[in-house]
Amino acid sequence: MRATTILSGGLALLLGLGAARAELGPEKLTINPLKPATPHRIYLTDLVLGHVIDGRIHVIDGDSFDYLGLIPTGLFGLTALSNDSSEMYVATTYYTKRNRGDRFDLFEVYDTATLELEAEVEIPAKHAQALPYKGTLTSTSDGRFVLIQNSTPASSISIVDRPAEKFVAEIDTPGCWIMLPSASNARRFSTLCGDGTILTITLDETGKAASQQRSGKLFNAENDPLFVQAESIGDTYYFVSYEGMIHEINLGGETAVTEATWSLLDAADRDGHWKPGGYQLLALDAKAGRLYVGMHDEARDGSHKFPAKELWAFDINTKKRVQRIEGSNSIAMSLSDEDEPYLYVYDGMTTEFVKYETLPALKPVARSGPFGEFAGLIELH
Amino acid sequence: MKWLDEFIERKARAVAQQTSRRSALLRIGRVLVGTAFVLPVLPFDRSPRAQHGAVDDGKHDPLDPQRCEYWRYCALDGHLCTCCGGTITSCPPGTEPSSVTWIGTCHNPEDGKDYLVSYNDCCGSASCGRCFCNENEGERPGYRMGVHNDINWCMGNESSVYHCTVSVILGQSGSAGG
Repeated sequence: MRATTILSGGLALLLGLGAARAELGPEKLTINPLKPATPHRIYLTDLVLGHVIDGRIHVIDGDSFDYLGLIPTGLFGLTALSNDSSEMYVATTYYTKRNRGDRFDLFEVYDTATLELEAEVEIPAKHAQALPYKGTLTSTSDGRFVLIQNSTPASSISIVDRPAEKFVAEIDTPGCWIMLPSASNARRFSTLCGDGTILTITLDETGKAASQQRSGKLFNAENDPLFVQAESIGDTYYFVSYEGMIHEINLGGETAVTEATWSLLDAADRDGHWKPGGYQLLALDAKAGRLYVGMHDEARDGSHKFPAKELWAFDINTKKRVQRIEGSNSIAMSLSDEDEPYLYVYDGMTTEFVKYETLPALKPVARSGPFGEFAGLIELH
Repeated sequence: MKWLDEFIERKARAVAQQTSRRSALLRIGRVLVGTAFVLPVLPFDRSPRAQHGAVDDGKHDPLDPQRCEYWRYCALDGHLCTCCGGTITSCPPGTEPSSVTWIGTCHNPEDGKDYLVSYNDCCGSASCGRCFCNENEGERPGYRMGVHNDINWCMGNESSVYHCTVSVILGQSGSAGG
């Protein structure tokens, strides 16, 4: 009883104090402007599988870890930043009656300064309803053409002329997957094929295929397949295989050419069954010559998507490991675009980001709160 | 589309047979990262089990079809239809089976035999969202589409909205033709 009295007295005091203050005036409803982008702005693509028609990209400040906004991505939307990060591209599916009715697929362009829709282009209703691996949607190196992976499940690629905002061509690529643009030839890209070859396609100025050249067998798709996520320096792409081999493959010419292959593993690593794993399991710092890979031990058939138990750093010139460090359960990682980049890692167990300094060595410096429900692709502005 | 289905299934069976190398006791969901975690390591799988009532009490019973560890789910990536109103081999009411599918090879601990399993998706309703599993034995990237599971196998249906995944035995591995 006494406690109640004290509580009531306190409440009255509080209310009394409130009444003594100036009344609140009418307010104006506004749209909060997006904080200007920094190299640490994170885009996290989330399929939200449990309510899959409602995909989105979470936009997050990678310094404060504040939530900045989102970009809607529809049903199994593929996503990629434009080459200059000024735009976010989305290729997705809608139905006229939400989960039924007529299907139509759109290529959408969002302004990353405002998160507003800038353009939309109808594309063939066959965009790949796949996890948005890097390379399922990309641009030619000059940004003129956007390349969209299709699957019915027969594989093909839709080509969109970005400045004209027009779908211009579809190229059949049976048994092949992922698009890897050439840096030196703005009309050229390559795709990995299920027989271990790489198909290189060169477009003409209208976006139609002018030539298609298939390499010889460059990798063993059966026993040691390449993860589809690859990182590049110029025309040289760095792929990692299930068994931990790095394949450096030049995709600048008419036909793909292997430049080097080397192993991430030494004898002790092999004894511990260390293997690469994750969804976006590689990051490459061209300036410092460092390659980062998510690794787990006691690997077995089917463990290739496991979160990283450790992150391994390699010097790509000596092809030697220079560091191994606790892996923050990374299933996706990306480097910021700056002289001394940070590595952002997405923890597949906790859905938190871990921010690492990279030079002179990897060192975790910050951890975010949780973001996302079913995410596995990150991009940095 | 029919010819394509058959083509893919034929290819998938061939690949599935070649890639089958597993031990019945080695299950993905049991591996732990470090020692601090008690949850099985399943990328993307933090909340679905905890929030939607899927069983995860550490028993890992390979004969319980509402668990990721059920033997037929060795390469299933999605929501279990057994938690969504369907069964191991039937779609929940109000949904439609996918017209295309991919195929895994799983070991049945009861008879010691390997089986080809078709992972059809059930489609057309809202997403079920319960009992998410992510198992990947024999799984390969998208350039081996017949054994790829990071894609929506409802993609060929009139409505490609994903609901859940079943696991239908096609035959014994090595004796199913192809």
